[in-house]
Amino acid sequence: MFSWIKVAKQLSENGVLGMNDRNYSVIAKYNKRSLYTLVDDKVKTKKLANNININTPRMIGIIEHQYEVDNLLKIVEGYQTFVIKPAHGSGGKGVLVIKNYDGEKFYSAAGEVLTFKDVYQHVSNTLSGLFSLGGRYDVALIEETVNFSDVFKNFSYHGIPDVRVIVYKGYPAMVMMRLATKESDGKANLHQGGVGVGLDVKTGETLRAVLHNKPVTIHPDTGANLMDLKVPYWREHLLIGALAYDMTGLGYLGADIVSDKNRGPMMLEINARPGLAIQIANGKGLKTRLKEIDETYPTGLSAEERVDYVLNK
Amino acid sequence: MTIKNLFSVRKVLSYLLILSIIYASYRIYYKVKYWGFSISPKEVTDVWKIDARVSFRPISDKVHVVLSVPNENENFNILSEDIIANGYTVKQDRKNNQIIFDGKDKEGKQTLYYRLNIYEDIKNNKLNKNKPTNPERPILSEEEQLQMRQIWDLAQSHEGDKVQKIIAVINQEITNPSISLVLPVTHTAKDVAEKIIQILAYKRIPARIVRVIKLEEGKKTEKPDIKLEAYINNSWNLYDLNTGKIGLPKKWVIFQRGGVSLLDVRGGENSTVMFSVMKSVATPMKMAEYRAKANNRLGNYQYSIYTLPLLEQNTLKWLMIFPLAILVVVLLRNVIGVSTMGTFTPMLLSMSLVKTGFLPGLICFSIMIFLGLLMRALVAKLNLLLVPRISFVVIFVILLIQGLTVVGYRLDSSLVSSAIFFPIIITAWIIERASITWEEEGARNTIKEIFNTLLTAIVTYFVISNDYVRHIMFAFNELNIVIMFIVMLLGTYTGYRLTEITRFASLVKKDA
Repeated sequence: MFSWIKVAKQLSENGVLGMNDRNYSVIAKYNKRSLYTLVDDKVKTKKLANNININTPRMIGIIEHQYEVDNLLKIVEGYQTFVIKPAHGSGGKGVLVIKNYDGEKFYSAAGEVLTFKDVYQHVSNTLSGLFSLGGRYDVALIEETVNFSDVFKNFSYHGIPDVRVIVYKGYPAMVMMRLATKESDGKANLHQGGVGVGLDVKTGETLRAVLHNKPVTIHPDTGANLMDLKVPYWREHLLIGALAYDMTGLGYLGADIVSDKNRGPMMLEINARPGLAIQIANGKGLKTRLKEIDETYPTGLSAEERVDYVLNK
Repeated sequence: MTIKNLFSVRKVLSYLLILSIIYASYRIYYKVKYWGFSISPKEVTDVWKIDARVSFRPISDKVHVVLSVPNENENFNILSEDIIANGYTVKQDRKNNQIIFDGKDKEGKQTLYYRLNIYEDIKNNKLNKNKPTNPERPILSEEEQLQMRQIWDLAQSHEGDKVQKIIAVINQEITNPSISLVLPVTHTAKDVAEKIIQILAYKRIPARIVRVIKLEEGKKTEKPDIKLEAYINNSWNLYDLNTGKIGLPKKWVIFQRGGVSLLDVRGGENSTVMFSVMKSVATPMKMAEYRAKANNRLGNYQYSIYTLPLLEQNTLKWLMIFPLAILVVVLLRNVIGVSTMGTFTPMLLSMSLVKTGFLPGLICFSIMIFLGLLMRALVAKLNLLLVPRISFVVIFVILLIQGLTVVGYRLDSSLVSSAIFFPIIITAWIIERASITWEEEGARNTIKEIFNTLLTAIVTYFVISNDYVRHIMFAFNELNIVIMFIVMLLGTYTGYRLTEITRFASLVKKDA
């Protein structure tokens, strides 16, 4: 009991943000409920993002109604590879990545061979709300796959590595990269066994990496030295985060960014209640950072200026 | 401290919490004191039924019967009185504590009943504390005066107050000539009491005879016991005629005070009064109305939930336990940090466990979840749409409940038949969610989630199934207001959850 209190005290001294504190002191305060709809719907988010020149995967089409599911083949005609995702999904739920479509069979990124019936079923599940928050009716979004950059080739097992930027009041506050492992089954969520790599906000270089809350230095499946990781186009990553603030008005958000071989960093989605695992990946408390931004960072700067401020700090 | 600080959400809620605690404490005190509510659910109040049966044989056309009855007592309150006297006009004389029966043209053996239901009470009824006028010194002969003086002289060597001294003298020095002279060899308690009153009157101390009945189950007696009351040190004290002990012992009830006889029958002969005592028990809650009435707090009581019909009361009793269950869930989720399936699912499960009993419910629930998951896994292959699929699970659960209940009934096993008490929709959703979690996040996470949900339900169950807790939450329902503010205050709790302490353990400074 006393050791718990001691640990809690130390965590507090290290500025670690707890779930209750995040909900009460940050989200409730800086994220207006009415703004959630902007990020809950990926189609909407994509449109908004394109308006202010944030790069996102190109949309191939959307399926809104059950009767439109039959059009699926027509929509993806000419595409060898594409992604189907629920517009209201979260945490990568219901995302189906088709790596190869030969006009008959669909080969998923997870290594499955699917028939049209399987894919049809997936879309129809999506529409009926299986993957959306609260099970409400959803829309299936079909977009181009990301040709993920070779830079990260050895750092991720199967799935696409993504960069999560926590943006507080428009300033990139903390960043991590999430790498898929064999265990995480192509997904990059940390609680499912993904590797979290804390990145230096100023440089995009590895601070430390964790697997299941424990520090690691090499990727468990590929053996890549995680300490060598350096994200290219770093400024662009931060800029996407800063712009996401301008676009949504959310004081506390998490922008998920992937790197495309040809198109550079692209925003996949914005999260209005980003989790706290990023602190473990960084080995640092988030509260200290938020406080720093609250107290010393100037207000009224443009997104570009904010990014430069962070980079030159 | 600025004004703004003083009125922060947390502060205001704290003030309200404190106020609600004060209010609840006052109400608890009030209910215990004036309504007789008890903290323990097992406590019962003894209700004594005293029957006084008066019988006599009339010898003239007009019969006039006067029976002395109790109306004020130290340890008891009157629950109800009942008089059975067919063909008599009955008059209650409250001032002299008498019941007067008048009859005309009666023949044969007459029987009148006076029934009294009394219960022990916490509060003390105010006794007649009026200062009496001191009695006149009795007119005595020379010889008698000498006896009196001798008795008072003898009394000096005994312990206690004046009355106790005299009682001691009478009892212990019975062979002393001055005593044996005033008391006949064969004497009744009444004789003794009357003599003592006389002796006390010599010193102008007011005293009177008190007739008391000891409450013993099944007791039948023709004669109440006699005690003595004397006015000493500015108050009336009751004395035992044998020991001189002051005060009325528990389970004794004063039937009549003063010298008048207990029963007075004019126009009749062979009159007797037979007392019989019977005991029954009632819960304090059943007695509350009488207590409230006796304490002049009836108006307040009538607007409480305890005057509702029993059916409504039982429903409310069931509802009253919800806030506590909610509090447990809030604590487990926001302070401990247990993640469960659905916010109130564990609470509803615990409610079912209360109805089914712990082990049978748990086993039955596990069977249902297991079979449900099995069925759901088979159906997954059919690729049904979401709403029809969950509907299928709901129907399957209903069929499962039906089957288990029948099987349980046939096997006479409460283990299986308790299925009927589980909420269908909740059970169905648990199955559906568990199966999706299984597909997406693997068996480990699913089992962990089910385990967490059950754990929360079990903890909640143990809190709400406790007899004391349920009784207290119902009897002192103001506590729900306290719980409401605690829950609201927890809504501002920004400290770490207990599970976060292990989750973030790696963020503790290593050098610390």
